[in-house]
Parts: sequence; structure tokens; C-alpha cells
Amino acid sequence: MAVAPLAMAETTAPDPDAGRHWAFQPVREVSLPAAADALSAHPIDRFIRARQREAGLVPVAAADRRALIRRASFDLTGLPPTPEQVRRFEADTRPNAFAELIDELLASPRYGERWGRHWLDLARYADTAGENSDYPIPQAHLYRDYVIDSFNADKPYDVFLREQIAGDIIARAGAPENYAERVIATGFLAQAKRFGTRDLEDMHLIIEDTLDTIGKVTMGLVMRCARCHDHKYDPTTMKDYYALYGFFQSAGYPYPGGESDRVQKYFAPLEHPDVLARRDKEYFSGKQPEIDRLKAELKAAKPKGDKAVKAVQAKLDAINAGSPGRRVPVAYAMHEGKAADAYIQKLGNPRSKGDLVHRGVPSFLDADAHLDIPEGASGRLQFAEWLTHPENPLTARVMVNRIWQHHFGKPIVATPSDFGIQGAKPTHPELLDWLAKRFIESGWSVKAMHRLILSSKTWQIASAHDATNEAKDSANAHYWKFDRRRLDAELIRDSMLLLGGNLDLSRPGPHPFPPADKWRFSAHRQFKAVYPSNHRSVYLMVQRLHPHPFISVFNGPDTSATTAMRDQSTVPQQALFMSNSKQVEQQAEGFAKELAAAEPDTLKRLRLAYWRAFSREPNERELERALEFLARYAELAAAENVPEAQREPQAWAALARTMLTSNEFVFVD
Amino acid sequence: MSASFPSSRRQFLARSAAGLGLGAAALRSQLTLAAALNDGHPLAPKPTHFPPKAKNLIVFFMTGGMSHVDTFDHKPKLNTDAGKKYGSSKIKASQFEFKRYGQSGRMVSELFANVGDVIDEFCLIHSSFNESGGHSAATLGMHTGSITIPLPSLGSWVSQGLGTFNTNLPSFVVFAAKEPYNAYQCWDSNFLPGYHTGVRVIPGPDPIPNLNSPVASVSRRDLERLMLRDLNEEHLKAHPSDVQLRTRITNFNTAYGLMREAPEAFDISGESDAALKLYGVDRDDRKSFGWQCMAARRLIERGVRVVELFDVGSNSNWDAHGDIETHRGLARKIDQPIAALVKDLKQRGMLEDTLIVGCSEFGRTPWEDKNPKGRGHHAAVFTTFLAGGGATRGLSYGASDEYGARIAENPVHVNDFHATILHLLGLDHLALTYRYSGRDFRLTNLGGNVIKEITG
Repeated sequence: MAVAPLAMAETTAPDPDAGRHWAFQPVREVSLPAAADALSAHPIDRFIRARQREAGLVPVAAADRRALIRRASFDLTGLPPTPEQVRRFEADTRPNAFAELIDELLASPRYGERWGRHWLDLARYADTAGENSDYPIPQAHLYRDYVIDSFNADKPYDVFLREQIAGDIIARAGAPENYAERVIATGFLAQAKRFGTRDLEDMHLIIEDTLDTIGKVTMGLVMRCARCHDHKYDPTTMKDYYALYGFFQSAGYPYPGGESDRVQKYFAPLEHPDVLARRDKEYFSGKQPEIDRLKAELKAAKPKGDKAVKAVQAKLDAINAGSPGRRVPVAYAMHEGKAADAYIQKLGNPRSKGDLVHRGVPSFLDADAHLDIPEGASGRLQFAEWLTHPENPLTARVMVNRIWQHHFGKPIVATPSDFGIQGAKPTHPELLDWLAKRFIESGWSVKAMHRLILSSKTWQIASAHDATNEAKDSANAHYWKFDRRRLDAELIRDSMLLLGGNLDLSRPGPHPFPPADKWRFSAHRQFKAVYPSNHRSVYLMVQRLHPHPFISVFNGPDTSATTAMRDQSTVPQQALFMSNSKQVEQQAEGFAKELAAAEPDTLKRLRLAYWRAFSREPNERELERALEFLARYAELAAAENVPEAQREPQAWAALARTMLTSNEFVFVD
Repeated sequence: MSASFPSSRRQFLARSAAGLGLGAAALRSQLTLAAALNDGHPLAPKPTHFPPKAKNLIVFFMTGGMSHVDTFDHKPKLNTDAGKKYGSSKIKASQFEFKRYGQSGRMVSELFANVGDVIDEFCLIHSSFNESGGHSAATLGMHTGSITIPLPSLGSWVSQGLGTFNTNLPSFVVFAAKEPYNAYQCWDSNFLPGYHTGVRVIPGPDPIPNLNSPVASVSRRDLERLMLRDLNEEHLKAHPSDVQLRTRITNFNTAYGLMREAPEAFDISGESDAALKLYGVDRDDRKSFGWQCMAARRLIERGVRVVELFDVGSNSNWDAHGDIETHRGLARKIDQPIAALVKDLKQRGMLEDTLIVGCSEFGRTPWEDKNPKGRGHHAAVFTTFLAGGGATRGLSYGASDEYGARIAENPVHVNDFHATILHLLGLDHLALTYRYSGRDFRLTNLGGNVIKEITG
């Protein structure tokens, strides 16, 4: 390749003080600011309130209970609360009512489906490989489910990361019953985008994608630039880059198949090798007499290639094919390869070798790091242990910043995957460090962080307008109100399916891909499919090359690269989808039917509609308007000769659609 | 059904009647409002870096690799030396007849006889090359400047740089009957904001998804819109300062604008007989390449900034490994429409403002492929073209060698091609940058030289 496509623009000289950059310093133990007033009882509120006071801002009132439960429910589970849940919570005045609600939401399997999705955005999760024909990977969903299950189980984040980077190595040393899960976890690495048409073509780009993802996701480090030259701003050097590169060059990636070589290769068996060896031994020992007999027959047979001989060979093959080792399920996951240090690739060209670099970690983060890599091992495990060491200055900070981001719609460090010199500075640096410390202390419990953050007044504040505050801080950098947020693509679809009475909350099995022996995909005939589904959106089949028609219109993640924050732009196709699509029409009709089945009385039915869609009682004016709409709609339908029996259902379906497409439905206070 | 609020019912009916009665007029006033908000609209027109030659861009992309030596790069030596060894293969003659056209007297093959008639409007680049000879990588390269990692496409960069003239329509429209190699990545905005993504039109009865309401009755549809507007305005009253809420309301109006304007833009039934004849289409055509070219002109007239037309897609295309004769049928479908578009724009005085460019991801080998009737991929040199929009008329820039095998002079990298296109549109490719992931990105990456001979 003549031109390195992603090399950095030459602009300014590197910062000589780069080593002293805040994010590369140890996480500090900060003392809490004094509790200045009644608004700052909670530790988080103290940090926030202290800065508000400096800025002359007074937070708006607390959110009402209806807003609170709706916010919490969407935030933690991605679905609206039921009217019963809202009523119960409104009536529950006990002081711990909210804490109990949070526990209930965190215990729901819906939680992992919501928060797992945030991680899948980061992991650039897809069910296809992204090379020229976008080969399907039927086993990819195992990793997706692993992520969801890990969030539901509140797997400590350090364990979660170690498993994703070195799970295959950990699995060998661990209990056989945990083997499959840990191997599947390395799907995080295996998911690296594939290129070209041949078996692991452009390996250096596959590793580049791996390093880009790991660097940004776990440490907020943009390392891509150092592939071709020392980083212009951050202290990352080419030496650092190729030191890390060695870990992954020493690993084995699975090959999903491609245009020139269609067969899956190097997928990871999901049984401990010792167990598999034992089972194979048992299997073959039972079959030994038959095998011996068949082999003897083969030896004696003449001539070779005879029909009878072929039949004997086929029997032998069938015995082998039936062995546990050959029948074990496999995952799109990693294995250990040939351990070796990497050469620097001059200008990022793999054919232009520079110096050999020992496998290791960036020296600017840890000058004395010495990884104890066993002979013959890749060192991935040692890297993962270094990464999740409590003294790593970046790992905890980066993750608490992400958790904060998803609770408030904006992170403390505005560039959540870039904590380098070019990244944004934290708006509340002490708070960030305080949270990072608590995160590590809690045993890296993500759920503990949810409880901590959601119990603050800062999170529980209303989304109300305030002209005085607005004049001083229109961007709400100081959290004087809660930022109203539009539902993500998945939340819009799931909530509509739910109200339409069509949401299937079970976990689907594998995607209905065509059988592997039928695959003839190429650049000319790319794999492309959209499988209809009523399951939650996290379970939709994701393609790298062909974005899902709904998810992509509503600003879904980039399926080819790690996505830290979704684009929130508004495009007219969204409104077209809402107004005209079959999907919305179906859910609106379903919603109307569900309402009719639940409540025959018109007024009561309208109230129920408001409760289900907006979690609240309609006011009189709204009731009047809805009634008038229904009446007028039926009149028009009559004038247009719609059969009488269809008029009312059509009117209700139309009303249901206006509710499902309204701002109140798609924005959360 | 109980109707318990008679007084307000009258009010509501009065209001809905007004809405219904006014129909289009009410929508128009909303659009005026949308237009008034245009100052803050992210797609509002933006100033250029310097005075532009062209205001609009139309791109033709022939997928699969159109042969340069059988179309616009005449190499008589292929026919005199046919069958001679060239490397491990044999020189292959062109079976298509070439002849001189126009005042510039340039040789064009019979495949593009109609384009030949207007060849004086064209600038041909005979020394284009691509860094990859693989369809996917090369197609990505021609669209994004990168042959590996997907980046924002040419059209989305132009939208980012210039905005658009009519926010009721997308800034960037792509006609693609079938998906090209790399599919949507060819028109994706990648890290640029999503509204710069090309909106794909699928030629046929349903050109843009969800453009038609499932409710056939106009009056009931309007009633439903009114109800939605009421719900949203009531909600907005409680949160008057929330820009997002207002934006989403505007967005519905934009969609209604699109619903009204797009079908009209795609409907050529009101075109004159002469115009239809020029493009070679019937009045009820909604699909052919001629229709696509005519619709492209109509979109440009209505304020769309960039239109790209993909000829064919990732299969049954110009990838003539088996038999170069397949070029004949493919060319027959696009030759007249492309020439018609040039003539039509010229007659309407639009050609000087509209830059037309055309290319493939690469050319084809001057020698035989495995199958001696076919030609292989050839990225080392091929021909691309520009017309209108201030590109130098009648110019042949660069040259390939005597066989069309290698560049003889003035190599044109895709970065140079893009830099030149941007320049004609008034954009400095070095200044059209976007900060992402810690650095300023541009369409031309680290390269790109504007070809002065082309920009005049």
C-alpha cells in the first residue's frame, strides 16, 4: 500500500509535558467538598453543587415520581414502566421506595439487554465479518449473549475485561464448567473487521482494528496513529504500538470464510481440551475393535479405489467425524498462536521491517512495567492483568465516565474514547477520580455504580426549564437540570413493540442464516438479509456492510468501528418511517387492539392509552381533543364509505399512531 | 362512542376543518416557517472557500470496471499487435470501432457514439489510477479516498462543505438499482453528521422507503397530522426552550415536504415530448437509466446538491472477464442518457453550474483475461471524465502508453481527482476538514493536488 490511509496530519510538535497529562497520572483519592446546603447530602451532589455555587446556579426541583420511574425504567431496562408499576411507585412513600425500585430494575433480565447494548456498540459487534462479501458468522451471537449475561450477573468489570482479552488462556487454567463462557468472551477480539477475500488477508489491518478497539474502549487511547509514526500529540510511540501488536500477532484469530476460501477455520472448541481429550479417548476406546477391523479390511483390500474399499473408508471417516472432538460446538473466538515479538512496520507497511520490539505495555503509562510472560505464551493474559490492575490510571476512569455518560446523556470527559492530549478535559475531574476509586473499591461492580449515581439528587432532578440558569449555563454543563433525551433506536422499536402487544421477551436462538454449505457469497453477491423479528432489538441480526433498515435510520452504531457515542442527528427518513412505515402502522394497530381488549369504555380506554404510552393521566383538554379526533375520523371514514365495523378500529389505530410518534413518547424527561 | 364535550368539539372541528380546507396552503406556510428557520438548519447553504465554478455535482459510477481501451482511450496498436505476447498473456484487440468526434476531434468508440456527439463538452483524464485492483477496495477508494477503512464519501463531504439549497429534499441523493461493492459505504457520511449521508433512491415504483402514507385518504391523513401537531405543540408548551423538541417537529414538516416534493421530482410525465425523446424514455418510465438521468436533473433543479448514479451494481456489471462484448449492452443503456443529460443541462443553461463526473473503480487489461474473450481488472491506468461545471472543455489530460497498459504522463490519483472536483465546487480540499478521533480528517487524506489544467 503506497499511502498509509489513516496517518496523522502533520501539524504541531509533540507536547514535551505529555507525560504529565492528567489522565496518565494515578487516580487520586479526593476528599469530598463540604456539604454546603441541603442539596448536597449525597457525595456526588457535593461535587456537583460545589461547582454550581461557583457558577451561581441553583438546581431546579426534583423530578416527580412519574418522571423518575419512567427515566429509571428506560435508563436501566430500555422499556417504559407499566401503569401498575407507576401507580405503585407513586403510592409508595417509604424512604427506600426508590432504592427498591432500582434494585428491582437491576434484577430484571431486561437490564443486561439494555446495558449490554452499550458495550456491544463499543465492541463494534456484528454477525458478519465485513470483508468484501460480508460473510455471516452464525456463532457470533454467543459473544453478544455473553455480554448481556455478564451485565445481568454484575460480573466485576476487571474480570469482564480479562475474559474478553485473554479468556481462552484463563479458561484452560480454570474449571471446565467455566471454559465455554471464557472462550466465548474473546469474541471481543475475534470481532475485528476482516478484509479482502482470502484466509485472514491483511492480518496487520485485523490487528490494527483490534488495537484501535482495545485502546479506545478500555483506556481511552487513540493508538491508530502510532502504526505509521510516533503519535503527534500523545506520547504513544511506534515502539509502544508494536510492543502491544506483538500480543495479538501471537494470538490466533478465527477465519469466518470469504470469497476465495469459503470455509470457517480456527474457530474455538467450547470444551476444555483435557475434557475433550478424555471424551475422545473414551469414544475411540469403545470403537477400537471396529476401527481395527476396518483398518485390516482396508489393508487387505485390492484393488484400491474399489467401491467396497470406499465404503470401508467412509465407515472409518464416519467414526472419526462422530468423535466428541469433531462434534464439539465452536465459537468465533481466539486461541493462542505462535508467540513472537513484532517488528516495527515502517510507515505502517508490513513488508517494510524496522526494529524488533519486545511485547510490552506503553512506557509512558508504566515505565517500570515488567510483564512476566511465560515461555511460549502470547502475553495477552499478562497484558490483561496489567490493564485491570487497580493502579492503571485509565481503565477505571474510562469506564465510570461511560457509565455516567449513559445515565446523563453526556460524559464527564466529552471524548469518552479519547483520554489523550487531544481529548477533552473532564468537566468535573475530582468527581471522576472519586467515582473511579469507588468503582475499584466496590470490586469493579457496575451495578454498584448505577445505585450510587441514581441515588444522587443530581440524577433525580427534573428536566425543567429555568431562565436564570439558562442564561448562565445554556449547555447545562453544571447539571442544574436533567437533560431531556430522545430514545435510542432500540428503545423506540422495543417500546413500540411492547405497546403493540408484540414484543417477544424471550432470547432467540441462532439467526436463520442459510446453511453454510450453500454459501457462495462474493463481492458480486454479498450476503444480505434482514430477518423479521419481534424480539428485543439487541437480538436483531447485525451486518457490517448492510446496516439494519430501522436501526441505521435512527442513528444506530457504526457496525464497522467502535462507537462511543451515537450520532443524534435528525434526518427526514426518521419522520417518514414514523408516519408511513408498515412497522409503525402494525404496532399502532396492535396498540389499539390491546386497548380495545382491555377496556370497552371509550373514556377509560383513552385514559389507559395515556397511561401505557406516557405513564400519566390525560388532562381534560387532552381527553376532549382525543374524543373529537376519534369522532371526526369516524365521520370522515363514513363519508369515504369505509365499512362501519372498521371505522372505530381505524380511528383508534390512527390515534395510537399519533401517540407512538409524538415527542412525549420518544423523549424521556 | 360518548361525546361529552360539545362546546370544545365545535372548536376542534372548526380547527380541523380549517386544517383540512387549507391543506396544501397550511403545509406551505409551515414550509415557509421551516425556511425561516433555515439559518439554523444544519444543511443551510454555506459559503465556499473561493468563488466556485460549479454549484452542483452529478457523479456517474460504472461498477465493475469499464474498459478504457474500448471506450475513450483509443489504442490502435492493440489491433495491430493483437495476439502478441504481453507478459504471460496476449494483447487483445478492441472489437469496437472508434471514430473522431467534435471540434476537438477526439476518438470515441461506437459504444459511446451519443457521448461522442457532445465530446467537446468533456474533459477526459487518460491517466487515472487506483491503488487496488480489487472491486471492493477500489470502489471504496474512488468514493472515500481510502481503500481500507471506510471514511466519509465524496458526496457527504460536499454536503458538509456546502450545505444544500432546499431542506425539504436531501442534500445528497444516490440512484442505485442494486447495491454496489461496499454497499452503503459508497454514500455513507461515516463520522460526519448523519444528515450528510446519501439518500438512496431505488429506481422503480417505490423509490424512497416510506415515502407514501399507508392511509389512502388525504383528509384522514391530514386530520392525523393535525392531531400529532397538537400533541407535540401541547407538549412543547410545557418545555418551550427545548430545541430538540422543536427540531423534531420541524423534521416531520420536512418529511411532509419530501412526501410532496419527491414524487413530483421523480414524475417525468409533465416533461416535453422533445425532452423525453432526448433521453429516450417513455412518459410513464420510472426506472430506466434515462429516467434516472432526467430525475437527476429535476432534483438538481429543485435544490439537491449532489446526485450520484450507479450504473448496475455489484453483479452483472462492467466486470467483463468472460466476454468484453457484454460492454455493448451495458453501454447501450447509458450512452444516450448521459449524452442527453449533458445536452439538456446545456440547453437549460445549467451545465456551467453543474459538474458532471464519471468513472469506474478501474479499467480493464489491454490483454486477454483467462478467457480470451474477456479482459481483467486494470487499476494501473484508466480513463475518467468531467463535463460542465467549469471543467476545461475539450481537454484530454494525461496519457496512457501505446497499449493503455501504463501511465505515460501526468498520473492522477483518486486524491487528485477529488481535490479537483472540490476545487470546481469552490472548496479547498486542504481546508475542508472535520475533527474526529483527535485529528482533522479530509477527503484527500495526505495527498491531493488540484489539476490546474482542468480547473482553468
